[in-house]
Amino acid sequence: MASQNMDPAAAAASSTAALKGSESGGTSARGSVSKRLQQELMTLMMSGNKGISAFPESDNLFKWVGTIDGAQGTVYEGLRYRLSLEFPAGYPYQAPHVKFVTPCFHPNVDEHGFICLDILKDKWSALYDVRSILLSIQSLLGEPNNESPLNMVAAELWDDQKAFKAHLHSTFKK
Amino acid sequence: MAAPVNIQTPSKTWELSLYELHRSPQEAIMDGTEVAVSPRSLHSELMCPICLDMLKNTMTTKECLHRFCSDCIVTALRSGNKECPTCRKKLVSRRSLRRDSNFDALISKIYPSRDEYEAHQRQVLERLNRLHNKEALSSSIEEGLRQQARYRNHRVKKPTQESDNTTFSGGEDNGDARSHLSHDSAPSHTPHTPPRDDGSGPEGDSGSPTPPLRHHKEGPASEIELVFRPHPQLVHTQDYNQTRYVKTTANATVDHLSKYLALRIALEDRGREQEGGGGEEKGTTGGGDIGEGGEGSSLSNISEKQYTIYIMTRGGQFSTLNGSLTLELVNEKYWKVRKPLELYYAPTKDQQQPQPPAAQREG
Repeated sequence: MASQNMDPAAAAASSTAALKGSESGGTSARGSVSKRLQQELMTLMMSGNKGISAFPESDNLFKWVGTIDGAQGTVYEGLRYRLSLEFPAGYPYQAPHVKFVTPCFHPNVDEHGFICLDILKDKWSALYDVRSILLSIQSLLGEPNNESPLNMVAAELWDDQKAFKAHLHSTFKK
Repeated sequence: MAAPVNIQTPSKTWELSLYELHRSPQEAIMDGTEVAVSPRSLHSELMCPICLDMLKNTMTTKECLHRFCSDCIVTALRSGNKECPTCRKKLVSRRSLRRDSNFDALISKIYPSRDEYEAHQRQVLERLNRLHNKEALSSSIEEGLRQQARYRNHRVKKPTQESDNTTFSGGEDNGDARSHLSHDSAPSHTPHTPPRDDGSGPEGDSGSPTPPLRHHKEGPASEIELVFRPHPQLVHTQDYNQTRYVKTTANATVDHLSKYLALRIALEDRGREQEGGGGEEKGTTGGGDIGEGGEGSSLSNISEKQYTIYIMTRGGQFSTLNGSLTLELVNEKYWKVRKPLELYYAPTKDQQQPQPPAAQREG
């Protein structure tokens, strides 16, 4: 049970390294992560989902920029949000760090862009990928969880959709 | 003299269902006929949903029967919740898993040269990592986009068909057998995305043709695999002399197929024009086969009328297929054999061959 006290990312990285290929140690862990990320990137480009996109920010495959378009029929319709996704070395066993870059007025998003979403925390599964994360956040926009708000003002205003929309659109900054 | 017909006891009589009355029996494969299955359709079955690679030392969960690489699931259990990554069923420990050596045997039967392939892949990946080369990445993505555009464009021209969930995936002869560019969407949890009219996707800083986005539908219709060859009499062998393997949904029509083909060929020609410069002039100049579009034809000119699809009938004759037939119907009516449908294509020549559309009507 020693692993419980270790940095989870490091633990996962070392165990992946140990299991995946004893031949080349640390690089192989990183290799398997970037391999998966490349596959994801490919699937994402091929699947052509509406309203979401993501691409590595620069040369670094471990940091992506995503965009989400507010879904039709929600108050977020017509707004486009940029997000950053950072993948830990323990990905996909650990969830990536996802936050809004574009300020987002939403009950479950705080002023720093942090998102309160279970699948990014304790409900993470290795089967989730960039695509499913972005789709989940997109649907979170339209269906906030007002039980555990990060932004109280937004949570309280949510019931008045007209006022919410007015506030949202008047304060929206790219 | 006549034996009484209804001597059977009630329990032994039965009525044929409508299906049984109308079905034509599947012919048994008695000879050495090989049944082709495209590598792409196989890949999603043999893939580990965690590493998205082919399963290695397969482990199956005892309760819910989901498969993972041994390394992947062990790491997942160690670093996360004790539940099945696929369905969240409780997995107490490694003892909730069972080695699935039959599956490993199956994979090594299908891909005997796997080690070789993996070594190659590792090499490529290392080089990519070393260089941290964005160009290489984006060029491979561009290639992906281009492939995607081949059938996306085709979809967008027919908004009314949006619901028929027709996608094509195809490969060439040489079929990179272990391609990981799976067209199948990864099995994942997909929240509902409301469709939007505004197709302007944010997809590319990559400067490549942005494919029209679409709402991705899951839940496959029945699929059909087919082998696609140039018409041996109407097509010069040096022109796109290529066997194509296509897998698509059974409710796609012959027109769909024809348009897909036109797109593919246009894209291939365009690719050649771009890289070849002047090296390999063909097709478009040769016989004027490609039709209206000509050189640098824009993909929006693509039409299902450019190619005619034929099937070989029993007498070795080629019969034109009506564009509105679905592939399922073609398969039922003309093919009937349990192996991928074989079709032939040739550029439509209006003046030369006024195709009698009545020729292939049956009953």
